[in-house]
Amino acid sequence: MLEAIQSTVVQLASGIAWGKWLSAAVLLLLGLLIGSLVSRNVGRLVEKRTTRHHQAIIRRVFFYLVFIIFGMAALREAGFALEVVLGAAGILTVAIGFASQTSASNIISGLFLVMEKPFEIGDMIEVDATAGEVIAIDLLSVKIRTPDNLFVRVPNETLIKSRVVNRSRFPIRRIDLSVGIAYAEDVERVRDLLLGLAQQNAVCLEDPKPFVLVTGFGASSVDLQFSFWVPKDKFFEGRGGMMVAIKKTLDQQGIEIPFPHTSIYAGSHSAPFRVQLMGPEQQKDKDSPDVERDN
Amino acid sequence: MTDVTESQRDGVWAHPYQLASGQTQQHELGYTRLWVTLLDMEWQVRVQKLVPDTDPITWYETIGHTLPSGAISEQRFVRTGDNGMLRYIPAMAPLPTVIKPHQPLTIPAGATCVIYVGTTLWMKICVGDSASELMELPLATPSMTWLGRNTMQGELCYASATYGRLALEAVPKRPWRALTPVTIINRRQKSLLVERFSLPTPLLPVYRNDKGRLWTPGVTVESDTDMNSASLHIESSVTAAAGPCELIAPAREQMARGRRLVRAFDHIFG
Repeated sequence: MLEAIQSTVVQLASGIAWGKWLSAAVLLLLGLLIGSLVSRNVGRLVEKRTTRHHQAIIRRVFFYLVFIIFGMAALREAGFALEVVLGAAGILTVAIGFASQTSASNIISGLFLVMEKPFEIGDMIEVDATAGEVIAIDLLSVKIRTPDNLFVRVPNETLIKSRVVNRSRFPIRRIDLSVGIAYAEDVERVRDLLLGLAQQNAVCLEDPKPFVLVTGFGASSVDLQFSFWVPKDKFFEGRGGMMVAIKKTLDQQGIEIPFPHTSIYAGSHSAPFRVQLMGPEQQKDKDSPDVERDN
Repeated sequence: MTDVTESQRDGVWAHPYQLASGQTQQHELGYTRLWVTLLDMEWQVRVQKLVPDTDPITWYETIGHTLPSGAISEQRFVRTGDNGMLRYIPAMAPLPTVIKPHQPLTIPAGATCVIYVGTTLWMKICVGDSASELMELPLATPSMTWLGRNTMQGELCYASATYGRLALEAVPKRPWRALTPVTIINRRQKSLLVERFSLPTPLLPVYRNDKGRLWTPGVTVESDTDMNSASLHIESSVTAAAGPCELIAPAREQMARGRRLVRAFDHIFG
């Protein structure tokens, strides 16, 4: 019995090509050693020039490169057909392709953006409720700096798919201010005052001409729209300065900008409301307080 | 070189004024009041905008020791070995100026007319023998406007309203304005309504005639059969009506030789 087992083991042992497996194992080991050596040296080379993140990536890439080369040699030595391995790599590529759909879409969107040029570096744009200055147009995304100095990364796909407002494309902008005046005021007089303000304002352009329109009869006021044009870099200065000037001028001229009004109308058939002034001696008649004092 | 102190005079363009250290030269010209102070190591310039009731006529200048109130901030310039000599050089507007006559003028078909247009000058303060420029300032606050086919394409210009006088004698003499004769030639079959046109002020040099009035070379505007464009041509010298003239300041920019400017007047040129 023991002899039968012994002979099977010897047969198995002699069947295995120990030489080939040994050399394959040696190659793998060699690959590990050389890979780590190379990666460490390359890492030291680029240490000064790149960030830690990049350095780690480079080290890993070189290690795996060297290891894969030695691994392939070891597999060949062990007698495996490399075609099978390459076939597996092909399937892997397809899987990676599916996974990187978004990135590919971003890259292609980026190319289209570069060709179409809806905005350039330095323009103020507004995307998806984020407004800011474009600081970089990269392969996968566009980087924006918001007015309060935050860094926003917008994927190119979003820019292609959704609406982008470029505030810096044209050299002049129109400012529309909404001014409400009391019903009692003379609209034409206010219009002349506002147009006079536009003429005095240094930032406001003479052409295209400023204008005043009555947009509606509001609940508490007559609503006017006062529009004038300014160079695009003077937008905030123009709007703020003009609003201050409007308030000052209307105050000076005694024109009322009304608060929301509610008129209480008792009706012609009802008696007027009774108003009674309370003197200090009548305060005793007031209701007792809700909370008892001596409790 | 004048060295008189504490007396009021008319200022003169491109005239060398000598200041001693500690003295201030005060000017009132156009809509601006100006103080230029010489100290041992620096120049100081103070500017104040005026809103006078009537159009200012003269250039009032005096050298003394009076300074304005502290409310007006000064600009300081380090002296680099100049001898305390000061010169004021005029300059035309740095952007093209859109001229709008107060009353639009109609020119019949085939007719020509000459309009005398005055534009506000910028003053350059230059020091030393080499006339190195310290700063420049407009003598009246310029008003801006947009000139273009639509709100997308065009350029920002200064705007100037003018009476568009046809008779030279009727044009008032102002030391802070330069006069440009604009010849408008209507080559169309119909009459031309001149509501506004663009004057290439950065390309105009400034001359002074023997009466002290500032002139620029004339500009010719020809409107052809095409209503929406007119060609502009700047003459090489001042018109003979100005009399003998000397060049005080060269143009800010030079146009490429032999090229005629074509400016689109668009639908606003009616």
